[in-house]
Amino acid sequence: MGEPSQDERYHQAAAEYGAALERLARGYEFDADRRRDLLQEIHLALWRSFARFDGRCSLRTWVYRVAHNTAVSYSIGRRRSGDRNLVSLEEVELTLGDHDGDQAASRRHALAQLTETIQGLKPLDRQVILSYLEGMDAASIGEITGLAAGNVATKIHRIKTVLAKRFSQGAQNAE
Amino acid sequence: MPSETPQDQIRNAWQQQPVENVAMSLEDLRRRAGKFQRRIWWRNAREYVAVAVVVVVFGYYIKAIPGPLARAGSLLTIAGALYVAYQLHRRASSEDAPAAAAFEDCLNFHRHGLERQRDALRSVWSWYLGPLVPGLAVFIAGTAIAEPLAVRYRLLSGALMFAIVGVVFWLVAKLNQIGARKLQSQIDALSVLGQ
Repeated sequence: MGEPSQDERYHQAAAEYGAALERLARGYEFDADRRRDLLQEIHLALWRSFARFDGRCSLRTWVYRVAHNTAVSYSIGRRRSGDRNLVSLEEVELTLGDHDGDQAASRRHALAQLTETIQGLKPLDRQVILSYLEGMDAASIGEITGLAAGNVATKIHRIKTVLAKRFSQGAQNAE
Repeated sequence: MPSETPQDQIRNAWQQQPVENVAMSLEDLRRRAGKFQRRIWWRNAREYVAVAVVVVVFGYYIKAIPGPLARAGSLLTIAGALYVAYQLHRRASSEDAPAAAAFEDCLNFHRHGLERQRDALRSVWSWYLGPLVPGLAVFIAGTAIAEPLAVRYRLLSGALMFAIVGVVFWLVAKLNQIGARKLQSQIDALSVLGQ
């Protein structure tokens, strides 16, 4: 059997990662219409990219890299017309109080808060947290972002702190 | 079974949130890709249309305006416009963004693209305005000399034309400088983004 074609690879990627790509788009774009537009850009970039897929990395790594790069390019284009200042995970961690979690009233609220936090992060930190939330381990996150293992571990540690402090109560209330 | 940590709970909540299942058919993708290619094509074509207009207009002047100096000026202007077209072609970015590169490479690609555009705007005198100056100067001098007017009116007409062209060139250069400054602030913003 021959190598899958560009169209076949795209179909496979869309079927396996379609939902994850929608969640990824949420991490980059608040506005629903623009988010849909971004998602279509991501699908287009993916389909075009599979003409050059060489199998040197896994399909998952390829899909996430293309998706993140498209989203970053989209964000850069949007930032040219003025946007809010982005912060790092470290800055988010430093501004957290111990009782921030009490403010979250439900899982939905916690998710909305989480999405807002992600949208305010610098791109690389955004890539790490989105990958972490999709259940990826440090090695996979390093492969997607190009970060060294130690750097990924530090960022994951910060993410865990942020999630524990800011969102634990919201998630527990949903139980 | 061990109880879930808060982090696991929020990860599960993230993964279980409802999605719209946005799907694109291959026809949609091909249509959108075609639209994208056409947009690039028109953007490039627009730049060459201005050059073509200069070539046609000054080609007409070679026949229509008498006097060797005006003809030499027209020829030099056409040569200058063709050089500008070559420079536009050379400087046009036809590269696609690296689809599956790591973040740093993706950011570098965008940064280099912006730096290239900024440098082109900053050096607009050397490749865009400058090559047109000799031809236009000779052409204006040639047409002023060829006019059947008293010397002082010919001088006045030539000076007026030089002043108009000078102001237009100054405005173009100024707009390019403003564009270069805007690009620099975008480059600075990208550098912050990558930290």
